[in-house]
Amino acid sequence: MALSLPSRSSSANRSSGVKPRQNFETWSWFFMRISGLILFFLALIHFFITHIEHDVTTTTVSFVASRWSNPFWRVFDWLLLALGLLHGSNGLRFIMDDYIRRPSSRAIVKSLVYGISGIMFLVGTMTIVTFR
Amino acid sequence: MGSAIAVSPSSTIYKGKSGQWAFVLHRITGFLVFVFILLHVVDVATVNSPHIYNQIHQLYGNVFLRLFEVGLLFALLYHALNGLRVIMIDFFPSAIKNEKAVFFSMLGLAVLLTIVGGVIILRPFFTGSVH
Repeated sequence: MALSLPSRSSSANRSSGVKPRQNFETWSWFFMRISGLILFFLALIHFFITHIEHDVTTTTVSFVASRWSNPFWRVFDWLLLALGLLHGSNGLRFIMDDYIRRPSSRAIVKSLVYGISGIMFLVGTMTIVTFR
Repeated sequence: MGSAIAVSPSSTIYKGKSGQWAFVLHRITGFLVFVFILLHVVDVATVNSPHIYNQIHQLYGNVFLRLFEVGLLFALLYHALNGLRVIMIDFFPSAIKNEKAVFFSMLGLAVLLTIVGGVIILRPFFTGSVH
């Protein structure tokens, strides 16, 4: 599939020295834009409902139960979980690549970050799916 | 990306003016929001133990954690709005001409909305209903 990318496309994905071709980093760049755009709405709507419209102390179990009685909000929250973790761990990948210079340290920290993200994805998914 | 070879540590420090600060702030806020997501998954996972869940969310209502909540709101707003700016620059290269003005508008909007949201979040503190 042909993707036409602008020639200057490098504020988060700084690979300007590399000649443009559609490798993993191209898709990573594209994913960050698309997921970012979706998360813009998901995250801000979620924050508005649970912190502005409702006070944080009133977001009790019964509040969650009434929200999750509607499958729409379960899907909404699960999308926010999945995209948030993917977008976040990919963003952290840029940071780790930039600031952790020893390859062995980088490998260890990366496995920790991806491992924790994966576990959190499973824990979050279980929470959303199994709550009744 | 990823090759640290032949890159001196000072190479990440460049005189990029507003664009540099936009980038630095984008990283910091993104990192903070990500750490909060991890914490948030854990606290929501206690929802099947109502007693613990409700206790945690009472705790979130104290003054210190309400300030933390306002900080989270700013991080979220800045990252979201600056992210839009990044997308604009990437997909509509002409936006780069007003890159600085767009940055300060986004930053200003994030600060303004944080103040509005912050007043609502901190209101119970001022009315004395939390300690």
